Amino acid sequence: MAPNHSNENGSIGSSLHGVTAREQIFSFSVEDGPSSQAIRSDDPTAKFALPVDSEHRAKVFKPLSFAKPHMRAFHLGWISFFTCFISTFAAAPLVPVIRDNLDLTKTDIGNAGVASVSGAIFSRLAMGAVCDLLGARYGTAFSLMLSAPAVFSMSFVADAGSYLAVRFMIGFCLATFVSCQYWTSVMFTGKIIGLVNGCAGGWGDMGGGVTQLLMPMVFHVIKLTGATPFTAWRFAFFIPGFLQIIMGILVLTLGQDLPDGNLSTLQKSGQVSKDKFSKVFWFAVKNYRTWILFVLYGFSMGVELTINNVISGYFYDRFNLTLHTAGIVAASFGMANFFARPFGGYASDVAARLFGMRGRLWTLWILQTVGALFCIWLGRASSLPIAILAMMLFSVGTQAACGALFGVAPFVSRRSLGLISGLTGAGGNFGSGVTQLLFFSSSRFSTAEGLSLMGVMAVVCTIPVAFIHFPQWGSMFLRPSQHEERSKEEHYYGGEWTEEEKSLGLHEGSIKFAENSRSERGRKAVLADIPTPETGSPAHV
Amino acid sequence: MVRITWMLKSSGKVDGDTAFKTVEVKLCYAPISQVDRPWRKTHNELSRDRSCPHKIVSKPYDKIPQSLNWTIDRETPTGTYFVRAYGTDVNGQEVAYGQSSDAEKTTNLFSVEGISGRHTSLDIASICFSVFSFGSLLVFLVKEKRKAKLQQLK
Repeated sequence: MAPNHSNENGSIGSSLHGVTAREQIFSFSVEDGPSSQAIRSDDPTAKFALPVDSEHRAKVFKPLSFAKPHMRAFHLGWISFFTCFISTFAAAPLVPVIRDNLDLTKTDIGNAGVASVSGAIFSRLAMGAVCDLLGARYGTAFSLMLSAPAVFSMSFVADAGSYLAVRFMIGFCLATFVSCQYWTSVMFTGKIIGLVNGCAGGWGDMGGGVTQLLMPMVFHVIKLTGATPFTAWRFAFFIPGFLQIIMGILVLTLGQDLPDGNLSTLQKSGQVSKDKFSKVFWFAVKNYRTWILFVLYGFSMGVELTINNVISGYFYDRFNLTLHTAGIVAASFGMANFFARPFGGYASDVAARLFGMRGRLWTLWILQTVGALFCIWLGRASSLPIAILAMMLFSVGTQAACGALFGVAPFVSRRSLGLISGLTGAGGNFGSGVTQLLFFSSSRFSTAEGLSLMGVMAVVCTIPVAFIHFPQWGSMFLRPSQHEERSKEEHYYGGEWTEEEKSLGLHEGSIKFAENSRSERGRKAVLADIPTPETGSPAHV
Repeated sequence: MVRITWMLKSSGKVDGDTAFKTVEVKLCYAPISQVDRPWRKTHNELSRDRSCPHKIVSKPYDKIPQSLNWTIDRETPTGTYFVRAYGTDVNGQEVAYGQSSDAEKTTNLFSVEGISGRHTSLDIASICFSVFSFGSLLVFLVKEKRKAKLQQLK
């Protein structure tokens, strides 16, 4: 292989290739003989444990493996997110003790619930930018290790005000959602991204359910050592705090930003270009699809976060369950995420294989609307078995919709992938804040009425998905553009770069992504990729 | 410490106390501590009533007046309270009651200030772990920057 001069200054096509590809610098001779230990230097993909595409993103998903870098990134990502969910909702099952200790009123508790999800609106936005500019590893580690002090500071809380402030600050760590989804999106190829993102997101969301069982258990154990309840609950928060620190250290030492290495190393060696925040931000904000996803996620994940805060109290009050039983019911809502969200992602991938992006959009609409309808039913159910059935169906529908949404999001932009994940994620928290404020913070509606009204609002706010249109793939009701240029993926993703940037070759990563995203054409993609033979009929006929 | 005394009302029916087996004395929330706190709501149906959650003592009924010096325990939350005594029969069913306040629960209330549950040792541990969290992140960032600089120089 001829030496490549791509490292010379100023040469066109200098190694600013995409996100991952590396050019060969030196020529090698491969020795003969099977006993030769020579490295197969012309195949840079040989060093990966999993089969990869041209961007070195994994093409298969092996959940039981911890292989570097793909599966390791997956596991570090989802466990970090899981830990943060535990911390954010750790107070919910302990509220009966906390409200006595701090002399809280229902308004105080409701406000603290809104605060716990509001912080993440801003931190998820910031995280999108951090991932695009600094990489997913630092993003995750910052989120975990900078919010751990907030978790520990529950030991200082003495009144409603400080309680609200601490829950607000702990809530910032939900930004790990964005870094987790970003990390999997750069590590796994488009064909399976729905399933991978669904598993990472769903298993992370499970933390909201696990915490309803974990925290009371920890509290009980600490009380057994002789502590009073009002001290024990404060000490119980040390457990989520420890988990965050441990995960932060693991992410920094074991994780890797990109399939080929860490972002700063790749940037310094010139293999990845440093992008400008203003550009990344502008292209994310300018794209109308970002905002539709913002609203949509607000009524799938937003509804889920609200339920995490109110469902235990609802079953306790309306059906007179014990706190323990109500906690188990609340936990099952969150735990359904284990299979529900991955199922949504998988359904999205299957729909994409058959119908392309249009299939993904229809899947999203169906799952989210069905989930919202079951939420309406939940509010109207007056017997316990019906209510639990409605709740479980509602949880599966809504959580699957979350998974399906993140089967669509990675395709909205390549340049601003992180920021779009951030904005969408922020939309989830925004939706939760809005629904909690409208329906669950005053005595205007009973909790049951609030649930049904929230379901109605969710149905209405899911309709905008019909307006998401990709020129190269179409939308729910419109076919893809027939225009020669606009019907190409390269045109859509290339459109995020100016001519000047294109002349510098900065957009090559997006072009690679565009090639790989042709799978979103559905079955037609298979036909489009077969090259027409140059010389008549094939030789082997 | 609270001194509680209870006895059968002199204006009561003669032999009205034959049904009593035990006296249960409870600490109850005054209305002001129930405002905006539906988990402390008063219900006429006693099985759903949540206004008297703290048990003080349960003693077998004695016809003579009884009293007790009760030390408020550390689990009692901050609030305004009064004391109520229920007379229960053989089946545990409440058949009579008396309380230290009037029927509207406005007189003879006393307030309790609960413990904060905070501990200096907990505060110190919290600060130590927070510093460790920040510190290890910083150390790591510095180390990585140095490593990247060395790699670039190479």
